[in-house]
Amino acid sequence: MIKWVKQLDHILRGDATQLSALREGRIEISIGGLTVVIAMLGMIYGFCMGSYALLRSGGSLYMQLIASGIKIPLLFFLTLLVTFPSLYVFNALVGSRLKLISALRLLVCCYGVIIAVWASLGPIVVFFSLSTDSYSFMVLLNVITGSVAGVLGLSFLLRTMNRLVISQNLIDQRELLETQIEPTQSENESKITEMKKLPEDIKTTLQPLEDPTSKRAKQVFKIWTFVFALIGAQMSWVLRPFIGNPNLPFEWFRERQGNFFQAVFNTIINLFSM
Amino acid sequence: MKTILLRADDVLRHGSWVSGQGRITQHVIQLSLMLCLFGFLYGSVMGSFAGITPDHFLQIFYSAIKVPLLLFGIFCLSLPSFFVLNNLAGLRDDFFQVLRALMASQAGLTIILASLAPFTAFWYLSFANYHAAILFNTAMFGLASILAQFVLKRYYQPLIDKNMKHQWMMRSWLVIYSFVGIQMGWVLRPFIGNPNTPTQFFREHAWGNAYEKLLDIIIALISG
Repeated sequence: MIKWVKQLDHILRGDATQLSALREGRIEISIGGLTVVIAMLGMIYGFCMGSYALLRSGGSLYMQLIASGIKIPLLFFLTLLVTFPSLYVFNALVGSRLKLISALRLLVCCYGVIIAVWASLGPIVVFFSLSTDSYSFMVLLNVITGSVAGVLGLSFLLRTMNRLVISQNLIDQRELLETQIEPTQSENESKITEMKKLPEDIKTTLQPLEDPTSKRAKQVFKIWTFVFALIGAQMSWVLRPFIGNPNLPFEWFRERQGNFFQAVFNTIINLFSM
Repeated sequence: MKTILLRADDVLRHGSWVSGQGRITQHVIQLSLMLCLFGFLYGSVMGSFAGITPDHFLQIFYSAIKVPLLLFGIFCLSLPSFFVLNNLAGLRDDFFQVLRALMASQAGLTIILASLAPFTAFWYLSFANYHAAILFNTAMFGLASILAQFVLKRYYQPLIDKNMKHQWMMRSWLVIYSFVGIQMGWVLRPFIGNPNTPTQFFREHAWGNAYEKLLDIIIALISG
């Protein structure tokens, strides 16, 4: 367990996703272990969210607390389930060399960043749950914390994706060189060792190597990031209630109606009309 | 399971087994099976609008077999005229390769559709409006068709390199295919299954004309 938390720490510090760490074209993390940590942190944030219902209604709504604790990890898992197949197919269509498992590792890392930021904002949410009565305010506060976490996580994703593409290109180039060196080995050997060292100004040396395929793969990822954010937001609406409106009875899921953006808009109007 | 997915991956990436020489008939059969499988997958999600309960299993099953049926129907109806066109252009010798390219793009279409199926399921979970569901499915079919054109172009490229006439043939295929496709989609209704009407394989009086209907709607819109 501690090992897995350390892995998350590595990702947050950026050690796990530096160019030198991506030597094999993939991020060296354990997917299973990190998933456990993500689920735990998700539960912690879920409890923070559910604390509002618990504190408002005199401690009778334990169920809301439990429901939120389960639903936050579920939110992450279902969003991935909806968006991953199309990401993979679109990547294959543009001919990206990013492998299925590498893409999954990358996304798990991104999830790690999102959930770490979100959970770190949990204590603030609890503090406001204790001190405010306004339900609309709590909803908006959670939307804001979620957006902050999402934006940070997704920008991490795009940055790391860039590095992965660079390292993949580097591996391809190295393989190409290795196949070419047979006749004049001594001459090229120094070149290869140089390549293997991964020079500091790697970006400038690799600029001409950027082929249209990896460019398109990056575009796919950018579009996907947008779709992912949309689906994540709407998924949180489908899985509601997380906070528990004090005027409504507890339910595991509410009826299907409206959408996330409409609801946020209504909540803002609600907050200012009071 | 894994082999099927790897094969599907090959279809999208223009893999060697679908673009190499020889055993073309076998490839076409494999591609048709793939079309059935992934079409079935999307169809079953498409038909789940009314809910996944025992009363609606029949609708889910109907929709699931109708998607491959739709694609095969369009394909079989468009093929004879396309074959004649190819003959007229003097491209008879390449026709087997053409057939495989067309089939590969059809299989590609269903694979893309299947990857979009989670979005459709999610849409159904979010919104209960039947008309919005129809529009969303149309959008998914539209998106998949546009992307499948890229697959088709990639498979056609070696043929075009050989003879420029193939470029025109490919365009004419797209025209024939979409012309037949719209009407076929209309005739094979319902795909989603209106929750307020009883489950049917075909709508009664379904043999209308999609274009006539479209014209009616436009005239109604103009005349207010």
